[in-house]
Amino acid sequence: MVMESFSFMQSISFLLLLFPLLGFLAIGLFQKQLNKKLSGIIASAFVFLNLILTFILFWYVSTTNQSVETNLFDWIKFANISIPFAITVDRLSALMLLVVNGVGFLIHVYSIGYMKGDDGVNRFFSYMNLFIFFMLILVLSSNYLMLFIGWEGVGLCSYLLIGFWYKDHANNNAAKKAFIMNRIGDLGFLIGIFMMFHTFGTLNISEVATKVSLMPSGSTALLVITFGLFAGAIGKSAQIPLFTWLPDAMAGPTPVSALIHAATMVTAGVYLVARSSVLFVLSPVTMNFILIIGIFTALISGLIAIYQNDIKKILAYSTVSQLGFMFMALGLGSFSGAMFHLTTHAFFKALLFLAAGSVIHALNQEQDIRKMGGLRKKIPFTFALFAVGAIAISGIPPFAGFFSKEMILSVAYEHGMGMGIIATFISLLTTVYMFRLLFVAFYKPESDAVKTNHHIHESPKVMLIPMAVLALLSMVAGFVQIPALFSTNVNVFENYLSPIFLTAQQLVPASGQNLTVLTEWLTLLIPLTIIAILVYMSYVRFAKDRLPSELSGIQKVMANKFYVDEIYDFCFVKPTEKLSLFFRETVDQSIINRLINSIGNSTLYVGGRIRLLQTGNVGFYLIIMVFSIIAILFFNLIR
Amino acid sequence: MGSASLIVLLIIAIAFAVVAVYIGRIFGTSSTNSVKGEPYECGIETKGETWVQFHIGYYLFALLFLVFDVEIVFLFPWATVIRELGVVALVEIFFFTLFLFLGLLYAYKKKALSWM
Amino acid sequence: MYAIITISIVAIIVLFFGAFGKKKMILPVIFVGLPLAFIVNLMGWNQSIHYFNEMYIDDNFTIAFNGLLLFIALLIFVFAPVYYKSVKRPLEDIYALILFSLVGGLMMTAFGNLVMLFLGIETLSLSLYLLAGSKKSDPRSNEAAMKYFLTGSFASGFLLFGIALLYGACGSFNLEDIKLYVIQNQANIPAMFSIGLLLMAVGLAFKVGAAPFHFWIPDVYEGSPTLITTYMATVGKVAAFAAFFRLINSSFGDVDFLWKTSLIVFAVATILIGNFAALYQDSVKRMMAYSGVAHAGYMLIAIIALKGNAAGVLLLYSVSYSIATITAFAVLMMVRKETGSFSIKSFNGLAKHNPTVAFAMTIAMLSLAGIPPLIGFSAKYQLFVSAIEQGQLPLVIIAIVGSMVSVYYYLRPVVAMYFTRSIESTPFEAAKLYKKQILFVALLLIILSFIPGLIINLI
Repeated sequence: MVMESFSFMQSISFLLLLFPLLGFLAIGLFQKQLNKKLSGIIASAFVFLNLILTFILFWYVSTTNQSVETNLFDWIKFANISIPFAITVDRLSALMLLVVNGVGFLIHVYSIGYMKGDDGVNRFFSYMNLFIFFMLILVLSSNYLMLFIGWEGVGLCSYLLIGFWYKDHANNNAAKKAFIMNRIGDLGFLIGIFMMFHTFGTLNISEVATKVSLMPSGSTALLVITFGLFAGAIGKSAQIPLFTWLPDAMAGPTPVSALIHAATMVTAGVYLVARSSVLFVLSPVTMNFILIIGIFTALISGLIAIYQNDIKKILAYSTVSQLGFMFMALGLGSFSGAMFHLTTHAFFKALLFLAAGSVIHALNQEQDIRKMGGLRKKIPFTFALFAVGAIAISGIPPFAGFFSKEMILSVAYEHGMGMGIIATFISLLTTVYMFRLLFVAFYKPESDAVKTNHHIHESPKVMLIPMAVLALLSMVAGFVQIPALFSTNVNVFENYLSPIFLTAQQLVPASGQNLTVLTEWLTLLIPLTIIAILVYMSYVRFAKDRLPSELSGIQKVMANKFYVDEIYDFCFVKPTEKLSLFFRETVDQSIINRLINSIGNSTLYVGGRIRLLQTGNVGFYLIIMVFSIIAILFFNLIR
Repeated sequence: MGSASLIVLLIIAIAFAVVAVYIGRIFGTSSTNSVKGEPYECGIETKGETWVQFHIGYYLFALLFLVFDVEIVFLFPWATVIRELGVVALVEIFFFTLFLFLGLLYAYKKKALSWM
Repeated sequence: MYAIITISIVAIIVLFFGAFGKKKMILPVIFVGLPLAFIVNLMGWNQSIHYFNEMYIDDNFTIAFNGLLLFIALLIFVFAPVYYKSVKRPLEDIYALILFSLVGGLMMTAFGNLVMLFLGIETLSLSLYLLAGSKKSDPRSNEAAMKYFLTGSFASGFLLFGIALLYGACGSFNLEDIKLYVIQNQANIPAMFSIGLLLMAVGLAFKVGAAPFHFWIPDVYEGSPTLITTYMATVGKVAAFAAFFRLINSSFGDVDFLWKTSLIVFAVATILIGNFAALYQDSVKRMMAYSGVAHAGYMLIAIIALKGNAAGVLLLYSVSYSIATITAFAVLMMVRKETGSFSIKSFNGLAKHNPTVAFAMTIAMLSLAGIPPLIGFSAKYQLFVSAIEQGQLPLVIIAIVGSMVSVYYYLRPVVAMYFTRSIESTPFEAAKLYKKQILFVALLLIILSFIPGLIINLI
């Protein structure tokens, strides 16, 4: 094999994978020896190096509009199948690199403070670096199989980190639930990959895209492939019907929830669909399906979030809802809109989780918002940062959430007035549950638990500074893409991604009607007015010390998460258990087991006979050799 | 070469051996006595151990001698063609003898040459 | 070529350090010499240099396999100081013999001439006969040396006879000339030629330990000191296979009807006998010996499926087999040192008190059994794929059945380590000595598992 020499950019993209792997190995292997204070710094340093490399690559791809493709080695090669271990940095993956490494680095730094004093801190950081490694494989891979490896790898890390405090049984169950529910989606993903290979004979992403663009729209093969891929996305991005694992996944440490279950891993599904945009636009049935799933997920989880009392669960359902919102954008064909919301969401949701972590840290692991209240004065910095996050996610200008939501909403309105109103309603739900959370936790008069707790303290700087950076990003990140209404010149984000989605857009041009300026103003102003009213109403409703009223019928259903877990338990888990009992007792024990055992026993018997040939007598060995040679010569010469 | 002739030969060979053994069994009478069990049925009876042990040193010397014996065997043909091969051959034989010398030196150092 | 010179000089230096009582210098010299040899070995990459009238060929095949042999030898020397820790004398003779036999192995991969092949095989074998008996106080070691010598010289006789007959038929020892002869006389090959070829195949089949010439392997492997067994099972086998492959590949590829059937019979018999006989062994060392036999059967498939990328497959398989075998034997050395026995019972409960070592052993066993994603799986997989491409489906089916059987005995130590309680629960003292080295080899195995493609495309 000839090692081709790598260009500077190629070496950098390779180093991107190497650094977190090194971090994982260094910290993982010397877990016991390594000083607990050091591991966090080492892990953060590796991610920081990655971040610098990311800036270089980002600068390169955004100025030259070229992608950096690196073929490291042939990973699988036989017959006519060749799957190289190759990575591609184009504009889309560079954006994801920024999110993963940027947010990842900030959360690593935050974790140094958050995980201080935990026994398994070395284990924690080794897993975190491993996660970055797999996430980068997912983002950088230039074929679907490697993408799948990264996909499974981040699932593994998610499993390990949800069950990080493995001594508590509930955490283990949550980890298992996440793992198994993801497997269901991954099965679909795998089927999609197989079908893709069967149809196109390649798994290379760009080659597949080229071949697809020559196919007619809506063929059955494409339908199967896109449904398969989307099934994977449903599992990973916690959409209906596989969304129940994400709230349970909050059992892990809060930085994990921020990094994996809010900013990066759960958005992999969105990335996958955006990455395969050409395939999806040519399968309109799947696009509609994505749209419906997205809308329902966003709606249902938004409603559930309103009636939750666990601070992290509220944020988790909010994540599910925002992901649903992104899928809705994908379903509408606005890939850049989805990616934009993914980016801004990574900033403010990570911020919210980190701030929630800071609250939990301050209150000694208290997560129930009813036992909080009045924290505004106790931990003012955290409060300010949390408020920034809440404003950003609610879509209040001029924070980032406003711009990304506006981009999606305008597409929705172009699609039709009904669609626009639904989308607006979903985005308004965000305001309700976020401000309820904000007012109950920070404004309401202090609860007894808070009053008696004298240890409430502001988090250390190492936690506050990363949050402050995220808050800054949540404030200003939106200005790269200003709605056309104000200025038609500032579409940095859309222009940046346009080469990626060019083919998809040419294949299926946007069909929406243009709105009049007046309608546009109305669709912008009416929701903003409602937001203002909602904020005021929640202030009145939640910030005052009022006894929680009895929940009415439908509210109870929402508070109990629409009984989805129970329904799944009844419909799938119980019958499966019954079926497996039948298989174990009847089929396995009395039929298969007996068959297998007899095969094994006869094998052992043959082994026992053959063993006797080995007598230990050299003369015997030599005689057998001679006889064998005679037999060989005999059979070869007589023909 | 036909396979039939070889197979026939094989059968005849086996049959000959089997027949020869069994003819003896059938016609001969068998008896056992003390003399029959001895190693030599004629001549003088052996006295003492039949397995004479030589001193291990003999073997060592023999081996070392053999090495230099072979060296001479190699040197003779070399000597006849040295003029044609030139300086290279001279250098190579120098290395050859050097290695043998090193071997001898090692044997000497390990006291293989001193009689114990 | 330069690697051979380097190793020879290192061996002589080692001998003299021993003779002059400089015990402390011996291992440093080896640990400098072997990497040095490894580096000079790489120098001729992509050049195909021929030395001494094509007696020695330094092509990529040679360099890859010699690199592997040197690397394996280095790994084995890593374990030498701990294995011989309690021995006070300098041990220069054992180390020098290992190095001399390595020289033989290096020649075997690179020969361009049948004489050179024989010289290499004899250099390797003669040193190994002595090494097998190097534990002079142990009667089993003596027995092993005697058996190895008797059967080995017997096989060498056949090999030499085969070489003589080939010379008689073709009038040359040179592989290129023989190939030329084969091309010219393809239609009417004389009996002398085919008998010569078959006898050579028999001799080499003995050296690689293929059935029905495998009988020496269990007895010799079990009796020899474990470090030497490791060496025999890795360097000895890989070198013999490289020689076998080069012989068949460079001269007899065009007359496969002469040898193919016999080799298929060898392979089938080897796979079945090796795997089945291993099932009942209670001594892990003997089980590993039979496992070595079984793997010889798989590697024969690479020679049978000569066309395609068989050399790369053979290299990959050799790498996977050698590294996993070294790991397993290293764990065995440690267990033996502590419990005084090789039996499977001495592995009981190892995972409780020595989790690292148990993990390494598990990785080695799983790789040998061919469980994905370890390198043993990719090696077997590539091997079977290339065999199927050459139309050897029945052979592959038998090999897969053999593989399935092998899982049983490979998992026995694992079951003992993880699921059987031991009487003692104190950590092994010996583990302190061995742990780091074992972990290193096991990690190497895991790392290699990620890059099978890199190895297979090397040559």
